[in-house]
Amino acid sequence: MVTMPKYQGRQTRILGKSFVFALLLSYTAFILGPFVWVGLISLRTTEEFYRNPYGLPTPAHFEKFAIAWTEYNYGRYFLNSMLVVGTAVVSAVVVGSMAAYCFAKFRFKFSEALFYLIFLSIMFPPQIRLISLYQILSQYRLLDTRTGLILVYISTQLTLTIFLLRDFFEAIPKDLLDAARIDGCTEWGIFWKIAFPITKPGLSAVAILNFVFLWTEFLFAVTFISSESKRTLPLGVIRFLGERYEDIGMVATGVMIAVIPILILYIVLSERFIQSMVIGAIKG
Amino acid sequence: MKRRFPAVAGFLIPAMALFVLFLLYPVVKTFWNSFYKVGPFRANFLGWGNYLEVLQDKTFWLAARHSGTWAVLSIVLEIGIAFLLSLALFNRIWLHRFFRTAWFTPVLIPYVVTGIIWLWIYNYDWGPLNTLLRALGLGSLAKPWLGSPHLALYCLIVASTWMWTGFNMVVLLTAMHSLPAEIFEAAEIDGASPFQKTVKIMVPLLRPTFSSLVVLCFVGKMRIFDLVWVTTGGGPLWATETVATYIYKRAFAWNVYDLGYPSALAVIWFIITFTMSLFLGKVIRGKEVEYW
Repeated sequence: MVTMPKYQGRQTRILGKSFVFALLLSYTAFILGPFVWVGLISLRTTEEFYRNPYGLPTPAHFEKFAIAWTEYNYGRYFLNSMLVVGTAVVSAVVVGSMAAYCFAKFRFKFSEALFYLIFLSIMFPPQIRLISLYQILSQYRLLDTRTGLILVYISTQLTLTIFLLRDFFEAIPKDLLDAARIDGCTEWGIFWKIAFPITKPGLSAVAILNFVFLWTEFLFAVTFISSESKRTLPLGVIRFLGERYEDIGMVATGVMIAVIPILILYIVLSERFIQSMVIGAIKG
Repeated sequence: MKRRFPAVAGFLIPAMALFVLFLLYPVVKTFWNSFYKVGPFRANFLGWGNYLEVLQDKTFWLAARHSGTWAVLSIVLEIGIAFLLSLALFNRIWLHRFFRTAWFTPVLIPYVVTGIIWLWIYNYDWGPLNTLLRALGLGSLAKPWLGSPHLALYCLIVASTWMWTGFNMVVLLTAMHSLPAEIFEAAEIDGASPFQKTVKIMVPLLRPTFSSLVVLCFVGKMRIFDLVWVTTGGGPLWATETVATYIYKRAFAWNVYDLGYPSALAVIWFIITFTMSLFLGKVIRGKEVEYW
């Protein structure tokens, strides 16, 4: 490099840069291509698809989304997912933040040991409790119910939620809380009126994280849910898969219904999505 | 402190109740089950019987090999590619923000959807992969990718790499941006080449990040289920059977009516995964590096 005449060095650099850029562009096509393709299929009928798998949706069959929603029951799956995941995310954040606040601001017997146990249990794979949860749920008649799935989902995300939120609560200055105590505020009031509201950024990051994990969850759902009317979206999406005459067009429409809500949120809030996933990785 | 006892209890009890009932108790129960033959109505104590059977279980060891291969290859592929990508973005190449957002997208979709997408990509008749090969005149290389026993596993590994590389990239990029810029400036003054700066300074400083990513990737692939379940179901001829799919089949799909044996499988696999991830994390993290 040192002996090379200057202009030549610059040329190689530009050439190198364009080469790298071309590589990155093809990688992007590799990542986004499948989404575009499935998106196009979702607007075409299966006959059109078999005539040309890579054709454009002319005319675009937007009515397929309505058909999927009503006739193929995707409306039901969607509402089930919203209900189960929504309830679980809100409960995990509320219940988890209370516990996290407690670990952050109070010292009590075994608090360190208990917190360590919670931290360790983040490492538990779902398989280590899948079978016994099946027994427990069936014992309490919670098998094949949305309530059962919600309870399992809350517990799945609870440990990570507590672990991540403790740091956010620890950042609250003690003086602020003490001032409220002197003003005669109850501990309960302090939490809801002061600690909880000022931790909003942390809470929303953890909520996004939990939402992504649960919206995409499959193993617990497929094990505990058996009736058609209680399926969540990941279960709905595979329902029409692998039949003799595979209705590719409709499966693609279902896939889009499952994916669009998260993609819209991602496009609007991409920075926050990325950040909350990174927090989960670095600390967890 | 005593005065605050009711407050502590109030804050803690709901979370602890859920934690104990749906996390701790089930885990303990799985350990318990693993020593029994658990039928629908009664359980018979077997002692170490299930564990001895696991040692003889060829399918389990095959599945363990598949899961292990998956974990190791994924670590190399995902983190290796992610590192190169994040280097490009760290140098603020044109469109870097768009690239970052785009590459991260697959992380947010369900594994099930990844499975369907790749099932179609690998389709023999009309899948893009074979279509591309035929268009390039390499039609003889076209195959039923997921249908061939010695390729299927690797094909699925490509799919999971497609999904997760963006995640590793974003974490590495964040870590790179948090490194102190002065170190790189100092190295530049000392005449370090960009390559030297990357290998001798950046990589050692990123060791803790690499260590978390390796552990996360390892743990994630050792438990992989959804992707296999919707694409190959473990086939063809056990070629993509993972420990997770095998446990599921033994517990719920084969009508053997014994929840004890799959519990023993789950316990063994958990212990193996757990100790190996602790070990991996420790080894890669290594000694703290300090440059200032």
